[in-house]
Amino acid sequence: MSHAFTVQFVRAAMLVPIFTLKLNHKINPRMVTVGKFDGVHPCLAAATQAGKVFIHNPHTRAQRQAAHRLSQSAHDSDISLLNINQAVSCLVAGSLEPGQVGDALLVGSQTNLLAYDVHNNADVFYKEVADGANAIVLGKLGDIPSPLAIIGGNCALQGFDHEGNDQFWTVTGDNVRSLMLCDFTGDGKNELLVGSEDFDIRVFKEDELVCEMAENETVTSLCHMHGSRFGYALANGTVGVYDRTARYWRIKSKNHAMSIHAFDLNADGVVELITGWSNGKIDARSDRTGEVIFKDNFSSSIAGVVEGDYRMDGQVQLICTSVDGEVRGYLPASKEMKGNLMDTSVEQDLIRELSQRRQNLLLELKTSRLTEGDAQMGVIPANTQLQTALCVKAATEAQKAHIELNISTPNETIIRAVLIFAEGIFEGESHVVHPSVQNLSGCVRVPIIPPKDIPVDLHIKAFVGGRNSTQFHVFEITRQLPRFSMYDLHVDPAAPQPTGIVCFGINDRPQRVVMWLNQNFLLPEGIDAPDVKFTCLRGGGLLSISMQPSGEITLKTDDIDLAGDLIQSLASFLAIEDLQAEADFPAYFEELRVTLTEVDEFHSVHQKLTAAMADHSNHIRTMLVQAEDARLMGDMRTMKKRYMELYDLNRDLINEYKIRCNNHNALIACLKSVNQAIQRAGQLRVGKPKSQVIAACRNAIKNNNVNALFKIMRAGTASS
Amino acid sequence: MAVTMDPLFLAWSYFRRRKFQQCSDVCSKILQDSPYDQAAWSLKTRALTETVYIDEVDVDQEGIAEIMLDESAIAQVARPGTSLRIPGTSQGGGPSPAVRPVTQSGRPITGFVRPSTQSGRPGTMEQAIRTPRTAHTARPVSSSSGRFVRLGTASMLTNPDGPFINLSRLNLAKYAQKPNLSKTLFEYIFHHENDIKNVSTQFISKTHALDLAAMATEHAQFKDWWWKVQLGKCYYRLGLYREAEKQFRSALNHQEVVDTYLYLAKVYQRLDQPITALTLFKQGLDHFPGEVTLLTGIARIHEEMNNVTSATEYYKDVLKQDNTHVEAIACIGSNHFYGDQPEIALRFYRSRLLQMGVYNCQLYNNLGLCCFYAQQYDMTLSSFERALSLAASDEETADVWYNLGHVAVGIGDLTLAYQCFKLTLANNNDHAEAYNNLAVLELRRGRIEQAKAFLQTACSIAPHMYEPHFNMATLSEKVGDLQSSYMAAQKSEDAFPEHVDTQQILKNLRQHFAVL
Repeated sequence: MSHAFTVQFVRAAMLVPIFTLKLNHKINPRMVTVGKFDGVHPCLAAATQAGKVFIHNPHTRAQRQAAHRLSQSAHDSDISLLNINQAVSCLVAGSLEPGQVGDALLVGSQTNLLAYDVHNNADVFYKEVADGANAIVLGKLGDIPSPLAIIGGNCALQGFDHEGNDQFWTVTGDNVRSLMLCDFTGDGKNELLVGSEDFDIRVFKEDELVCEMAENETVTSLCHMHGSRFGYALANGTVGVYDRTARYWRIKSKNHAMSIHAFDLNADGVVELITGWSNGKIDARSDRTGEVIFKDNFSSSIAGVVEGDYRMDGQVQLICTSVDGEVRGYLPASKEMKGNLMDTSVEQDLIRELSQRRQNLLLELKTSRLTEGDAQMGVIPANTQLQTALCVKAATEAQKAHIELNISTPNETIIRAVLIFAEGIFEGESHVVHPSVQNLSGCVRVPIIPPKDIPVDLHIKAFVGGRNSTQFHVFEITRQLPRFSMYDLHVDPAAPQPTGIVCFGINDRPQRVVMWLNQNFLLPEGIDAPDVKFTCLRGGGLLSISMQPSGEITLKTDDIDLAGDLIQSLASFLAIEDLQAEADFPAYFEELRVTLTEVDEFHSVHQKLTAAMADHSNHIRTMLVQAEDARLMGDMRTMKKRYMELYDLNRDLINEYKIRCNNHNALIACLKSVNQAIQRAGQLRVGKPKSQVIAACRNAIKNNNVNALFKIMRAGTASS
Repeated sequence: MAVTMDPLFLAWSYFRRRKFQQCSDVCSKILQDSPYDQAAWSLKTRALTETVYIDEVDVDQEGIAEIMLDESAIAQVARPGTSLRIPGTSQGGGPSPAVRPVTQSGRPITGFVRPSTQSGRPGTMEQAIRTPRTAHTARPVSSSSGRFVRLGTASMLTNPDGPFINLSRLNLAKYAQKPNLSKTLFEYIFHHENDIKNVSTQFISKTHALDLAAMATEHAQFKDWWWKVQLGKCYYRLGLYREAEKQFRSALNHQEVVDTYLYLAKVYQRLDQPITALTLFKQGLDHFPGEVTLLTGIARIHEEMNNVTSATEYYKDVLKQDNTHVEAIACIGSNHFYGDQPEIALRFYRSRLLQMGVYNCQLYNNLGLCCFYAQQYDMTLSSFERALSLAASDEETADVWYNLGHVAVGIGDLTLAYQCFKLTLANNNDHAEAYNNLAVLELRRGRIEQAKAFLQTACSIAPHMYEPHFNMATLSEKVGDLQSSYMAAQKSEDAFPEHVDTQQILKNLRQHFAVL
């Protein structure tokens, strides 16, 4: 895996905008789109403050007659506002119905999805979405015939067609932050890529999970480049490009990438990755190497990057918007310029390479001059090797439970410092240990606590040298940390037995399971029979794995997530495509039952609160009109009285609103845990049984049939 | 020995004959003897409800509060022709304001007075409150409080023992379980209890109705379309239009009922989405082909959007289905009249409306006008006489005198015209058109100051009419007061941008100023 932290030597060409607009509206980041609402003219639509969406249409100014009744300035008349009356969380424009002339505008908020036909001022549909809509994408998915509007919410994905029927629903691991449709597998049909808050990028073929890529921060944007290549952006300022599951390159910056888009800016036939940053910079990077080709500066953070033929002159422009309402359009470089740019980049490549080589040579020269002087220092025996060992250490009073990485040299050389580079374990991705001068020894122990059960590669660089040397040799070694390292073979016999149990059958020899165990767990001596017990170092519970000669495996643990992970790992090791399982987790199911009743309660309270608030606001409106009436008549005393009543009513309304907010948040948390429960039940199976379980669970919840839900989670199938 | 009728049967018979007060009295007596008699309780509830029952479908008064402070429409400035708030330019080829009088919002006067087409949308709160608040044109402060104070009579029903059903002590959950009682109770709360003027009890009763409906729907396992429609109506009253839409749509899924289509269309009209409402009506027509109420709905929406030709087409469809539909006849008639075809209009008014038994001042007034312009002079004056005798209020009298004034101008008798207009003003001090016409007559007599005074009054009463402004502009120009002429001409242009004469004046004035 290449982790290229390239230093940017190249000076990129500045981009000159073809048009600049200053709109008087702020733009919310990541909520910008371009659509042809009347079928012909592209218009910019973006979400702005106070739950409104504005549409900028510069094309009809000539056609509109000066209607004095609508007194607007010429500039403002290009902008029309739409009242959404809720905080907008995502926005996209596109064609939802194949026969329709204009594009529909889809606006998602935390509770609803509105599909709106701007040209005819008519709703296409307005649906309530219980899981919220954090991201939205429009297009065809897999085998589903009609184009869908797919929204990603709190742990769930839903797809709606132009009539508002939900044709597609599935659960995913955590809150969805970004979505993308592309042909990932190359089979001619689109797959859905989902970036979530649990740092994973998942690929779904309709509702089946094809594969998963793990990153180390929330995936905030995904954008399709070409073929199966796509760009991604993380919340910590990383931007990069993947081709299928392999990462091509990535760069890290201290600013956040607000928006990414693929556009061919230098007219060379290959799209570049355009990134808009939170400090107002826009840059275009080549998709192969990641070097910057163009850049530009805005005065405030970028809100969104889209493309469209805004000037209606036949050429597609790249349109960049900032949160202050500044819009700039760039044309792809013309053919004459293309030649120059290519030459300059090749030249600059060469210059960079040569200067780097020069630096390396200079450094070598300097060190060799020094070593000539002090011949004794820095020499170590020729067969010095760095040894690493991993072992599990249970919790003591001094330290939490951890894995100990033991780095040592076999002879009397000492280790001066150790750099460990690993993704996802240390903050900042690397860890440096340099013992103080008194404690130098040939052995360094580093505690490692992996937060999740994923295999991690540890890249270790150690400085080895003599006791008094000032120069050290650098040893590089890579060690893989097995997936389930935080599990200790030493079991406390007094510990309570776990109540959760999963049983499933495989057609494989026990030896293969033993191989899997040896590979994925930290077993100091290895085992020969697939019958083991572990103590979980993170939670303290017990895990027991046993296998009958008939092929039936029994897992006993209280942690349903762990059970799911184990099954998924075993299934991928043994290359099992479909696996059915029976499970029972009494403690967890009890919690789920309680959560479901809470959901019902919250729903009914929510309804009452909404009605009460609506009534209240009607009263406020009446009171306001009466107060105005009194003022116009000059009856100041009544007016004052009314305004005082208004003040009280207003305060009451605000309190009611706070209560409603709390209720809503609690409801959302409950719904999320329900979705996660479905997800976990799905993880216990593989392949077709998994999708069946998820679909059956969802039906059970839709029909409010709690008993059926538990039956499905236990047995894997609905009752027939 | 006379055999007395079973009291419950007697009460039921009164109910059938619509003698609600007696019915409710008999029921009260039964309940005094046996307080747990469910049948008697149910019957009394229904009787009380029927006394104040208003068909929700047709009534749609928007209060001032709803218009000024409402943000439920999505598009603030929709494309002309797709919104009820901004009338499109007369795309249907209807007559211009020079021929057909317009209301304050710029829409031509329709043939039928409906509660929602009173005056157009005022621009500011001040304008909204200041528009004349007489019985005809007044707007209630807010539809939830205003309408029921006006129309309700139950508040005047004195009940010596206190209210029949004490809402605050009602165990709604228990009633929700009993389907035969819950529906009557719901209707009672929804219609009857709203008339209590006390704000706080009003507040409680609406949420009570909603609670009861919610519980009953749950009890029926969400499969009963009737409860969904009632839930939708509750949400509509509370102003939660999106929730109402959801309920109505789900009710439609269960059972196609015409009423549900009408309620849902009302919701879309409040959300200012006429095209969605039109698609909905067309869907309804698929299920109920030729249904008159749906066709009327479509025609009304077209009229509100200024599509006079499409509206007429649909009204004709309505008449094909139902020959007696008064609204359709009246609208087609007035369209023909203003479209310069008074004979056809006459046919509609005389033969069809008179035959329908419509016998009031307005019809005879229209008949008189049609006869005059169709040159049937024998009928004209007698129709107007009839109209005058049938006039129920001063404003109607004023309107009749105004039209008589027009007739007088038509035959050349200017003194008669003068007298008619004066009589108009005597009956209705705010009749802007009369002031304007009087001003023209005074001008002919040479009394310029009088004319100016009349014109100024007309301008201030009716700023949306272009005639007084135009006349003011012409008068001032003749007198030499170019500044006020210019200002008046601009106002006239605002009201009616395509008026050629106004533009002529403005051009002349601009040339004058350029020379200066």
